[in-house]
Amino acid sequence: MMEDGDAAVVAQVQAGDVQAFRLLVERHQPTVFRLAFRMTGNQQDAEDAVQETFLRAYRQLRRFEPRASFGTWLYRIAANCTLDLLRKRQREAEHRAGPEFAATQAPESLFANAPSPDRLAANAEEQQQVESALEQLTPLERAAFTLRHLEGRSIAEISATLGVGANAAKQGIFRAVRKLRRVLEPMRSPIQ
Amino acid sequence: MKHPSEEELILFYYAEAEDGQAIADHLEACEACRAAYQDLKHLLLWVNAPPMPEQGQAEAAAAWNRLRPRLVAQRDFRWSDLLQLWHWPRWATAATLALLLLTAFLAGRYWPRPVPTAPHAPTAVAQREPAHARERVFLNEMGNHLERAQVALIELIHSKTNGVVDISWEQALAKELVNMNWLCRQTCARLGDTGTANVLEDLERALIEISNSPSTLSSAEFGGLCRRIEPNRVLFKVQVVGSQVRARERDGARKLTANRS
Repeated sequence: MMEDGDAAVVAQVQAGDVQAFRLLVERHQPTVFRLAFRMTGNQQDAEDAVQETFLRAYRQLRRFEPRASFGTWLYRIAANCTLDLLRKRQREAEHRAGPEFAATQAPESLFANAPSPDRLAANAEEQQQVESALEQLTPLERAAFTLRHLEGRSIAEISATLGVGANAAKQGIFRAVRKLRRVLEPMRSPIQ
Repeated sequence: MKHPSEEELILFYYAEAEDGQAIADHLEACEACRAAYQDLKHLLLWVNAPPMPEQGQAEAAAAWNRLRPRLVAQRDFRWSDLLQLWHWPRWATAATLALLLLTAFLAGRYWPRPVPTAPHAPTAVAQREPAHARERVFLNEMGNHLERAQVALIELIHSKTNGVVDISWEQALAKELVNMNWLCRQTCARLGDTGTANVLEDLERALIEISNSPSTLSSAEFGGLCRRIEPNRVLFKVQVVGSQVRARERDGARKLTANRS
């Protein structure tokens, strides 16, 4: 993330310049989107999470401590907004037709956005199996696992980002790995 | 070194094991553990990041265009300024919101309703639906509450006991949970679910005990606290009840769907 100049822009926004917030959105949107997309596996949800993240950041900006890193602060908001969205989606899925529906829905938009059709063709089945397995995780498990496995965050950082204790973060990761193993193990031998 | 557990191998994979060198040495020497680790490694290497949609200036501009009207509306909305005046601690705000939600639920449940003079099937179904919906809201809130209680107990159980033990984080969470727990317990008792109410009573005793303890304890004091509240026993019961509540919630969702169709 570009940190240079964030402090000055934040000060402008705090002084009431809404337009200056655009610069912060343009600088940090890719990172926020990447995190949200990895956590949700869905472009539309990721875009919604980006909107909610920046809106929440704007609302809370007057409480932002200027000595802190804006990028780190925003990343924490993004992780929590996306976690809230995952929880909401889970409730909606259960409300629609019970948990089996939620567990067996394949993500529709995830594979429509692959960078190359050839690569997509080669990896689609494997990727779909992984995404289906990730769909089995609870929102907290998925958030903790994504932050550790795909975002490379340490357990201490995950704990601070999600506002849970280190042991809860660890347990989330352990449960996620166990569930992934349970779902993916039977599919692995014919593929690898 | 004894054989590392699956959890230790997971931490080792992410370079977060407390004694990584000892595990590395053990894997060098132990074929079974090496095979287990390779297995885990293959599994985790399989889980790659999904292909990312391209994100550039156009996407950032689109995000800004979608966001801007909401920010302007936000700036003009002055109620939020009034809310800023509330400097309540987080636990007090959360407890108040939980209290309001449960009050709304209980009011809905026990408020006398007019008895239909000539009931017929569609009306009866229509009246049952809000009751189902209220029950699901309650089960959802209680499920979330029990999950958070589990987090507090797990954290407490895994507290480091070298010298002084700091339980301030668990304590803050326990304080947040006490009021909600009381409301859930009262509701379960009124509904005649004494089994769940008893578990919630055990949990409440533990939460109050944690809330009222000093935030830093000596090892001996921490041992005394654990003996008094038996967190492992309470955690087990809360996990069982938590999964039952989630199952009932899912069951309710299925019934509602069936009624609608």
